[in-house]
Amino acid sequence: MSQDNPDINQILTTVKEFAEGVAKRSSGAERYDALCAAFLMGVVQRELKLGERQDDGQLEQLQSMLGKQGDLAELYQAFSSSVREGHYDNDWQAAFDFAFKQVVDKVKVTNPNHLEVEHRDS
Amino acid sequence: MSGADDPGIIDEIVDKLTVAVQQRFGKNASIENISIATLGASNRTLLFDLLEGPTRRRLVLRQETVKSEFSPFISTADQYRILKVVYSHDLPIPEPIFELEARDDLDNGFVVACVEGETLPKTLLSDPTLATARKRFAAQSGEILARLHAIDPAEVAFLEATSDSIDPLAAQVARYEGYGNCFPGLEVGIRWLENNRPAISQRKFIHGEYRNGNVILGPDGIRAVLDWECAHIGSAMEEFGWLCMRSWRYGEIDKPVGGFGPRLELYRAYEANGGELVDEDAVRWWEIFATFRWAVINMMQIDGHMSGVRRSLPFACCGRNIAMVEYDMLMAIQGKYK
Repeated sequence: MSQDNPDINQILTTVKEFAEGVAKRSSGAERYDALCAAFLMGVVQRELKLGERQDDGQLEQLQSMLGKQGDLAELYQAFSSSVREGHYDNDWQAAFDFAFKQVVDKVKVTNPNHLEVEHRDS
Repeated sequence: MSGADDPGIIDEIVDKLTVAVQQRFGKNASIENISIATLGASNRTLLFDLLEGPTRRRLVLRQETVKSEFSPFISTADQYRILKVVYSHDLPIPEPIFELEARDDLDNGFVVACVEGETLPKTLLSDPTLATARKRFAAQSGEILARLHAIDPAEVAFLEATSDSIDPLAAQVARYEGYGNCFPGLEVGIRWLENNRPAISQRKFIHGEYRNGNVILGPDGIRAVLDWECAHIGSAMEEFGWLCMRSWRYGEIDKPVGGFGPRLELYRAYEANGGELVDEDAVRWWEIFATFRWAVINMMQIDGHMSGVRRSLPFACCGRNIAMVEYDMLMAIQGKYK
């Protein structure tokens, strides 16, 4: 590692703690802004920890489902078009399960406490 | 800052507003005690006292600031027309005072009377002085909505032309597509909505944004219904779907009516006050539709932030909030959220 302490995670924690402190001692719009800032720092921390693994998992699943190669953005588009055109109407559960997994992945980054307990470690 | 304007812009508005009131209320009219609402506003809201001789009235200026090809809001001119119709039927809304005109050089908007009370959802759900208002909310909402839906849609016939009146699902899909993003979760939701559309028995004049957050409460109960910018002609069940959507319960998940009370109190009061029989299966569809619509509104906010038109921390958060709304939507489709 070429960089010194604090590492990225510690920088984010430091800024998040600062924002939480501002939120505690302010009110109104300033408090709300500070809470938003702390929230976004938490999102970045979780995305750094989970994002790459989630992308890899979804890519593999989509390539298998759709039977084609491509990057995640292209395959999301292909999946979405297939759903919209009704190609998954008779295979609904497969489409739903992928979409639900993708959403759960995102919420694990955005705010894992929003998930029901059974989805937090899924 | 949280959507706050440059102080120079506010000074300019105050000067022009002073001229506007003098033209309408006489050259001795003046304004003072100005404050700006900054939390959660998509458009600018400015409160002020109007002084005419010995009398002082607190008024509210609503100015259009969201201008977008994909805006879900009707024009302020149409909003003002709606306010006049609704006010003429004695429904609890702020009294319409005057509409801005080109000569005012204040862009589009209007002025209404200020109604005292509280609007912040978390305060409404926790303030001890509002305990009675909380108990009454579901039934009062049913009564108010029944009276609103009893207004002949012909009185607001200009709303029939809006995309939300013609086909609300197609309207939301068009807005979603306009942002150019791809959300597998929402796509599955859209397909489910398309494949399960309920029949609409009667078309009504609906508020379109009635929820905790758009009402003013006092200790006695609901004092005013605000924010008529999403009004359109449609199904009464759409109104209930929006009101009971999970996000608008602010954590009081087991009280579907805005976090205040149970559905049956809302529905029975609605029916007892002349509303049509509530179709609970249809309300379920409209509640799932409401999550899709809320996701698209969040898209509008993050689009404003990313494009630079309206940058703010809360709008940045909106982009990541969409995932939570998608989760709620898919859990509701599975029947796990009610």
